[in-house]
Amino acid sequence: MTRMLRSGGRLAAALALGTLVGATLAQPAPAFEKTSDGPVLVFGGRQPVPNLDPSQKYDWSTRMLQQSLYDALVKYEGDPAEIEPWLAKSWEKNGDATVWTFHLVDNAKFANGDPVDAAAVKFSFERTLKINKGPAWMLSSVLAPDGIAVVDPHTLRFTLKQPYAPFLAFLPWWYVMDPKEVMAHEKDGDLGQAWMTEHAAGSGPFKQGRWEQGTLYQLIAKNDYWKGWPHKTHPAGIIYKLMREASSQRAALIAGQADIVEGLSSEDFDVVGKMPGIAVEDHGGMTTFGIKFNTQVGPTADLNLRKAIAYAFDYKALLQIYNGAAKLEDSPFPPAIKGHVTLPDMPRQDLAKAKEYLAKSAYAKGGIELEYVYVQGLEEERKIGLVLIDNLKPLGITVKLVPLTWPNMTARAEKVETAPAMIAIFATPVATDPDAVAFQYHKASWGKYYGSHYLKDPELDALIEKARATADWDKRAPLYLEIQKRILADQPEVFGMLANRRWARRDWVEGFKFSPVNFTGETDLYQLTVAPK
Amino acid sequence: MARFVGRRLVFLVAMLLGLLLLTFAISHVAPGDPASLAAGPDATPEMVEQIRQEYGLDRPLPVQLGRYLLGILQGDLGRSVRTNHDVLADLADFFPATFELVTVSILIAVLLGIPLGVLSALGRNGWFDQLARVVSVSGVAIPMFWLGLMLQLLVALDLGWLPLGGRLGLMSTPPEPITHLYLLDSLLQGQWQVFGDAAAHLLLPALALCFPALASIIRVNRAEMIEALGQDYIVTARAHGLGGFRTVCLYALKNAMLPTLAMIGLRFGWMLGGTVLVESVFDWPGIGLYATQSAIAQDFQPIMGVTLLIGISFMLANLLVDLAYVWLDPRTREPA
Repeated sequence: MTRMLRSGGRLAAALALGTLVGATLAQPAPAFEKTSDGPVLVFGGRQPVPNLDPSQKYDWSTRMLQQSLYDALVKYEGDPAEIEPWLAKSWEKNGDATVWTFHLVDNAKFANGDPVDAAAVKFSFERTLKINKGPAWMLSSVLAPDGIAVVDPHTLRFTLKQPYAPFLAFLPWWYVMDPKEVMAHEKDGDLGQAWMTEHAAGSGPFKQGRWEQGTLYQLIAKNDYWKGWPHKTHPAGIIYKLMREASSQRAALIAGQADIVEGLSSEDFDVVGKMPGIAVEDHGGMTTFGIKFNTQVGPTADLNLRKAIAYAFDYKALLQIYNGAAKLEDSPFPPAIKGHVTLPDMPRQDLAKAKEYLAKSAYAKGGIELEYVYVQGLEEERKIGLVLIDNLKPLGITVKLVPLTWPNMTARAEKVETAPAMIAIFATPVATDPDAVAFQYHKASWGKYYGSHYLKDPELDALIEKARATADWDKRAPLYLEIQKRILADQPEVFGMLANRRWARRDWVEGFKFSPVNFTGETDLYQLTVAPK
Repeated sequence: MARFVGRRLVFLVAMLLGLLLLTFAISHVAPGDPASLAAGPDATPEMVEQIRQEYGLDRPLPVQLGRYLLGILQGDLGRSVRTNHDVLADLADFFPATFELVTVSILIAVLLGIPLGVLSALGRNGWFDQLARVVSVSGVAIPMFWLGLMLQLLVALDLGWLPLGGRLGLMSTPPEPITHLYLLDSLLQGQWQVFGDAAAHLLLPALALCFPALASIIRVNRAEMIEALGQDYIVTARAHGLGGFRTVCLYALKNAMLPTLAMIGLRFGWMLGGTVLVESVFDWPGIGLYATQSAIAQDFQPIMGVTLLIGISFMLANLLVDLAYVWLDPRTREPA
């Protein structure tokens, strides 16, 4: 037996030795990855990019890489976000915003050296419209493939089916693809869809490197990018490394194995922000958080009840939940939206007023139970639900917290009969044009997650339609003021807050440029550079 | 033996068919619309309908099932609605990573668990046995996710001995795929640096994943060894002057291994389908994360593909265990 125990000891010693041998093989990076061409920055993000095709898909991580590999006619830049010329050096529209003419730069080139001309732009728009996925919804109601005409190799004309003032605001997300490259990989008439899921055919500042699904996506900088680079030096490339857990992102950042990360919790951002060598980018975003009511079915169909809830809610608690990294909404439109106006009568907690409205409602004595549906696992939304429970108790309203997965939530929101009385919704407008927010309250948005309010207000719908068809901003602006007031009067939701957008980065990462129109963790990788040491 | 294997294979096909029917039924009765989710939050009803038609989701359920089963016979597992990827290609990408992780984990668990179980039984109620008991109780009690996080914080972040996550260093190029298992492929191609890098990346997730299996193997093996060591044939062997090592390893352990083997087979199958937490912590690009993302998006084809693959692996692992049973215990062999 002793002999057996001795051999057990030998086994343990061998294992310990093995672990040490393994340990010596580890090579934690002290800073950004270095290559012979220069530094390579590592972006640690949680969301994969399974489909890169600009005609099929967009979300924050997908768009971040599309933005790096492709160019569009125009680009959003800065805070406040402005539309800047990009592939188009100038443009003009006719009096009623039905004809838009774009003049292209003459030095833009795709990765294979082919010139970016009007024919390529026409092909790209037609492809996206024909495939009818991803960003197609932005323009499909106003633009048909036969409405796109090549005037000359550097001039393109769009003729819309109807006046549409926000047209330009959506163009930054319509990327231009190389027709030769795409069609060379067409299979069974799919317009190259299968190939384009993992391959790029763009003219952007980067080209594709290693593309390992589930692991990383590598971007290699093009030294001869036609537009040039914003800084004297630029990184040799960027690796978008998938990190599934916030704990892994934080650890990688601290260890110097990631140079910039997104998606940490509020507490984590506060903690890492105090560490030497780490800086936190903290910017006011455009994503609104609201508790949407079902305005057609159930007790919340009663406007006075909705007002009562809006006045009973403790808005300061929202800011506390986000450790102060948020700003209360002062209008249904976020401040970054053109035409935003601060409305003086935005509800704030006022129990007396809440009781007044309750008394005017059909539920004067309370005694009702309302569902609050939120995304399972989202701790902030659960905490907001707890605040609701507490706030609505004095009104005699019981709140039932219902955590659901996102697919089940959207399934509930799809029909007015099943849409919950209250549902926690974050909504990010895709453009800074006011129509991008106003249309969320139009009846055409019913059934979408942000349209789970089922707001029925024909006059509001008419105003929204009139505003989007008005070309002159001076005439549009008063309409949007009216729209904001009208939405507030309808109280389709508890207008909550705008959580700050935050990233944590090592201090050697410079050039970070925030734009509120970007989605969740989306970063303009073209702007990043490495500080000279 | 051939008849035995043949019968088990027929049984395996029937089981897989049952498994597919069950998964198909469950995934299609769940609320939510995969076409709507794939189309995106802003998609128009026409866009959603187009996706529904493109992927055949507008067909009656029996037709969808029939087409799917026909596709399997032709080696086509369909396309993901969420990503537009070919499911078979996705499985070929992600499964080897999980298989490598699980195989190394189970190897660690077996190589550590069996000797520890034997030594615990030999030193019953002694200090070593108590220590092994602590290990095995901890293995069952400590959540794998938490253990992974702790290992990551201590070994990778604080001590800096091993990488935080991933399958290979960021700037390392994976070996040319032969088996798609990095350890094996790098060995076959003599790429020692890649092998070392892959091994270093594998160690922490494998340790985190193996711990529950290790605990079970220690407990089961210890109990079986105690029973075997008390049998008459062991007393007889000792009375005949056979050495301790020979008695324990050749006679007692061989008999004690039967239940342990059955459990290893079950554990292997369970680990193949249960790696998602470890994969999340260590950014391991395996099938667990792929399955989870597909399930969240109600992407039926990948869910069915993963179920099929894990089902086959599980059943093959158990077939191997059955064969090992027959090899170890002549009483289970069929008469010629």
